[in-house]
Amino acid sequence: MTALRAIAYHGLTVKGASDLARPPIPHTAFAKVAWPALPTGFAAQLLALLHQLEQSQWWPAERHARLQFRQLGRLLAHAFAWVPFHRERLAAAGYRPGMEVTPELWSRLPVIARKEMQSLGDALVSPQLPKEHGALLTDSTSGSTGVPLRIAKSDHVQTIWAAITLREALWHHRDMRLKLGALKRDPEGLSFAPAGRAHADWSAPFATVFPTGPATLLDSRSTTAEQAAWLLREKPAYFIAFPTLVRDVARYFLERGLSLPSLKGVNTRGEPVDPELRELCRRAFGAEVADMYSANEVGYAALQCPEAEHFHVQSESALVEVLDGSGRPCVPGEIGAVVVTPLHNFAMPMLRYALGDLAEVGAPCPCGRGLPVLKRILGRARDTLALPSGSRRYARIDMKALQEVPGIVQFQVVQKTLHEIEMRLVTRRTLDADDEAKLRAEVKKSLGDHLAVVLTYHDEIPRAPSGKYFDFVSEIPA
Amino acid sequence: MRLLRTGLGAVPLSDLEGMAWPAIPTPLASRMLSLQQQLAHSQWWPQAELRRWQFRQIAPLVEHAFRTVPFYGERLAAAGYRPGQEITEEFWRRLPLLSRVEVRSAGAAIRSTALPQQHGATSETSTSGSSGTPIKVTKSAAEQTLWSSFALREELWHRRDWSAKVAVIRGAGNATTGQRFPSWGPPLAGIFATGPVSAFEIRSDLARQAEWLRSENPDYLLTFGTNVVFLCQEFRARGWSLPRLREVRTIGEVIEPETRRLCREVWGAGIIDTYSCEEAGYLAFQCPGRTHYHVQMEGVLLEVLDERGNDAAPGESGRVVVTTLHNFAMPFLRYDLGDIAEVGEPCACGRGLQVLTRMVGRARDMVRLPTGEKRFVWQSTAKLAEIEPILRYQVAQTALDELEVRLVAARPLTPAEEDAFRAAVIANLGYEFRFRFVYRDEIPRAAGGKYFVFRSELETPAPG
Repeated sequence: MTALRAIAYHGLTVKGASDLARPPIPHTAFAKVAWPALPTGFAAQLLALLHQLEQSQWWPAERHARLQFRQLGRLLAHAFAWVPFHRERLAAAGYRPGMEVTPELWSRLPVIARKEMQSLGDALVSPQLPKEHGALLTDSTSGSTGVPLRIAKSDHVQTIWAAITLREALWHHRDMRLKLGALKRDPEGLSFAPAGRAHADWSAPFATVFPTGPATLLDSRSTTAEQAAWLLREKPAYFIAFPTLVRDVARYFLERGLSLPSLKGVNTRGEPVDPELRELCRRAFGAEVADMYSANEVGYAALQCPEAEHFHVQSESALVEVLDGSGRPCVPGEIGAVVVTPLHNFAMPMLRYALGDLAEVGAPCPCGRGLPVLKRILGRARDTLALPSGSRRYARIDMKALQEVPGIVQFQVVQKTLHEIEMRLVTRRTLDADDEAKLRAEVKKSLGDHLAVVLTYHDEIPRAPSGKYFDFVSEIPA
Repeated sequence: MRLLRTGLGAVPLSDLEGMAWPAIPTPLASRMLSLQQQLAHSQWWPQAELRRWQFRQIAPLVEHAFRTVPFYGERLAAAGYRPGQEITEEFWRRLPLLSRVEVRSAGAAIRSTALPQQHGATSETSTSGSSGTPIKVTKSAAEQTLWSSFALREELWHRRDWSAKVAVIRGAGNATTGQRFPSWGPPLAGIFATGPVSAFEIRSDLARQAEWLRSENPDYLLTFGTNVVFLCQEFRARGWSLPRLREVRTIGEVIEPETRRLCREVWGAGIIDTYSCEEAGYLAFQCPGRTHYHVQMEGVLLEVLDERGNDAAPGESGRVVVTTLHNFAMPFLRYDLGDIAEVGEPCACGRGLQVLTRMVGRARDMVRLPTGEKRFVWQSTAKLAEIEPILRYQVAQTALDELEVRLVAARPLTPAEEDAFRAAVIANLGYEFRFRFVYRDEIPRAAGGKYFVFRSELETPAPG
């Protein structure tokens, strides 16, 4: 039985010891002071933030909203003063400097679509940044479409990002003394298979604050066989990768009867996670998936709840709205467009930025956290199926059924026109007419009878430039 | 819903323009909150684990003491200490207790000759503690940071409304008119927004204190334990009340259940008490919602030892022996504080921190002046600590205009030393008493183990 030791802690309530993720003892900056540690500089700042986050997670949603609007007040004043694009829009919505930001005013502010964002170029970048916010950093987003988006951030945005990164690890009870294995693209090109690259620690922000175990990195531009060999050799306790990479390697393990007893958790991001992947990881690794929803341009939007498969919006970092077709907030059970406003990016204010993703709003979580719930992150809106009626719907292929056709190594379903689907396949053997008929039928069952399905065979289906991979892609613009 | 919600927490002050929330505090406030982050978790650890970590922290402290504190170099060597060794419970029990008289006699020899530079500047305070032996205590800035972080924990435990008004009656401020401060002061005010503080001098006439307090009408009152008794009696006699008062915070002396009852009866407020001492800082805080205390195990190893030197079991009382975990300027290893405490059962709140149910320590009577004034005796000990031969003292009022100074001393005081003692006491009490110095082999404790640093032996003693 879970101990119900609810304890008042400065007017808010935290759970008893048995329920709380227990952070390790931080690094100490003082000779001979081992415990409690006396951290300094950036580590102290991160722990000060973590301390706030550990409390605020239990606050009711209304209090989060109130503080978000207080923070938005500062951000809007800055955006109005320094970014002409925002000044115009804010003025049109009725905003005047010094005005309190209310939900009503907010709802009048138009949403910025991803496409618009791309065409804006540097128009959102503020020429002036409060000096304490640190240096201006520029970065470009994944560009899963191949059109990179240049993003400006301040050091301070990275500080908030780092604090929430620590929160995520603590939420999921990750033991930082153990080994971390990350499968991702190494921009320095030093992590190629078979060796990968060894790191003495988990690197920032983990190692900035806490003593950690070692880490190992393998470039994701490697084969599934190489990835599996790397996992078996390195025996990490935690495995970080895009969901589709996890899926491939988990299948590889299952097909060959391999096991990885060292693995305690799988950590995913970047692509949608479906219940099949979670089940696959349980079967292949005996490990649970902890997913997160983040985007380079906005930081963390939501983290998986430590006690459930849904997500908690990171209200301390971003205002996340889920809006229906007419721009109204969705209620629990409804699916809508994800619109994000990072609360601390004064370098490039993004006010009501529609990331292009869809999510389903969830009911308040029984875990007690007041952070709003996203039931599911459905991924990119442009990868929804365009219907002849002009509307679109979420496209999901039944993976289990596909597995009944042996020999499929990789697939991707692409909507070419309103009535035509291409199913791209990489196979280990030549499929016969029966197999092909089965696949066509499955696609129609998942997506609709009105569609013609053409099968094409490939040596490889490449990933997007970001390294992400999508099972379903629509070539009809959303 | 598995959680009980009782209210809202406060957002720290932000040091960064545009950052209302979450706050990016100043570097010092960040360090304080980074400690809070740790303390918020460690309070729930099992007690055995807290104790393991205490010994992990004691290991570098003992090595430092061995190498840089002459007094401990000898003492640790005699106990068989070898640098680098693990500090086990067995080794610990072999280490002799440190008495106040030893600390007083050791002088510079009990201070480190090489404080790590990072630990910052040292500062000095003095105390006569619970048994009338005046000593001086040297602390480092690092130790003060930890001290402050415990003060902040106490605030968080008791969920005070920091926007409210506090009245403080202690040894500071202006005797006649009181003083006002815009904030609650450090460490709280550097981290969070707070309301104002009004302060009044505790050595002033009780009637004036009561009038001032009534006119201030505060939300919180902070003062010494026995002063609460004196003030409540004064308020009751005059039929006054403090309608806004939410809580009384006490320091300095033992709080008896009777004091809590009186406070509840006269002011309708509960008491939140703190057990602390100059030498070791905060020792124990009252548990939120209960009247027993939790030892601040992250800052001090507190042992309660029975007559044979064994750990007292729950329900038993013993002498309080403390080891400060972070004072590398003047290490206190197994220091016999001179107090008696009763050990409690583990607390139902779930905190793993040791429980003390009651303490017996310093007590004091009020002084009555020939003018008719009644005053709390707030003894500034810095001057007394400088009078070399004094090992222990007690001041007793034997007549309205006469004090008897009882001394356990290495030798009789010289006339100049007597003058210095006299001047210090007169400065504190505000009246030119006649003095009589007497020498004793021992100054006995009163019933229940209390030690009176000031004792009223008038036929009609002042209240308290």
